[in-house]
Amino acid sequence: MEQLIQELKEHLIEELNLEEITPEDIDAEAPLFGDGLGLDSIDALEIILILEKYYGVKLANSAEAKPVFQSVKTLAEYIMKNRG
Amino acid sequence: MKCYIDRVTTEHDVVTDIKLLIPDAGLRRRMSRVIKSAVTTAVECVGGIENIGSYDAIITATGWGCLTDSERFLRNIIVDKEQLLNPTPFIQSTFNTVGGQIALLNHNHCYNVTYVNRSHSFEDALLDAMMRIADGESENILVGAFDEQTPSQHRIMERMGIFRNINDGEGAVFAQIRAHRSAESIAQVTAIDFPAHSLSKQECLEKFATSENVVLMYNTYTLHGLYPTVSARCFAEATRLIQNGTKEVIVYNEYFGATPTVLRIQCVG
Repeated sequence: MEQLIQELKEHLIEELNLEEITPEDIDAEAPLFGDGLGLDSIDALEIILILEKYYGVKLANSAEAKPVFQSVKTLAEYIMKNRG
Repeated sequence: MKCYIDRVTTEHDVVTDIKLLIPDAGLRRRMSRVIKSAVTTAVECVGGIENIGSYDAIITATGWGCLTDSERFLRNIIVDKEQLLNPTPFIQSTFNTVGGQIALLNHNHCYNVTYVNRSHSFEDALLDAMMRIADGESENILVGAFDEQTPSQHRIMERMGIFRNINDGEGAVFAQIRAHRSAESIAQVTAIDFPAHSLSKQECLEKFATSENVVLMYNTYTLHGLYPTVSARCFAEATRLIQNGTKEVIVYNEYFGATPTVLRIQCVG
């Protein structure tokens, strides 16, 4: 789980081009949107692509998205639960 | 038809930290090299984002547009087999990205147009500004031009033999254009023309020069490298020559057989 969280942080930094942020700067339990990392709706689309591209995980329905996209930790838990 | 030039800035004149010119990290991190270069040049030109609101038109010009993002999007289509496409390069690859980003920095909802007309792009943007001034529709206009060279673009053009005798180029230029002369006015544009056929150096001078103290910039791409909006770089250089005592500068731009363009920039005295 810890390794997956670290890997996810690296993918987020790389794919979202987060300037001057290192994996250590990202609190795995902090909100991704709003006050935390300050991501927005375009980033949400890119995170969906990260889940699918690197882990083969698809979001089955949009109602699932809100709790899954809470933090890096909830993303990692969703990947663990759903990847083949 | 004429207009006054209060300030011209090129990407080389940008001295302010990009984080001060574009404080929104969310906007900044999505910008490619050319977008950062053009937007910072524009903000430096107007003296900070708080001044963007004083412009009643933002008119930009580009021949190639945001090539890096266009290439990234096309590459993603091929590599990812038309699946899982990242939306950012697509959104940022449009020609009017720069004009839009400048307006977004200060929520300026004024007239905002981008001209994408190959080597005419900058002259068309300037002509639009002058026509708006002549019609009384605008008084303070931000006019700019930008183009970027990418490795793949360079490779393709090199294979076509285009750079055999000419250097490649890229750049960003923005200018404050005014309807009325102010204490800051450094020059004025007194003629803009699109001749139906090529003009020789002699013909350019006979038709457009009004004094002996004139500099002719002939075939702009031979002076500052080959890219569609290179005439904007000559326009910037012309204003500097005028600030240093030249009375007028004629910029003649003929780019690979396209209809030529001529600008006459004069001192305001």
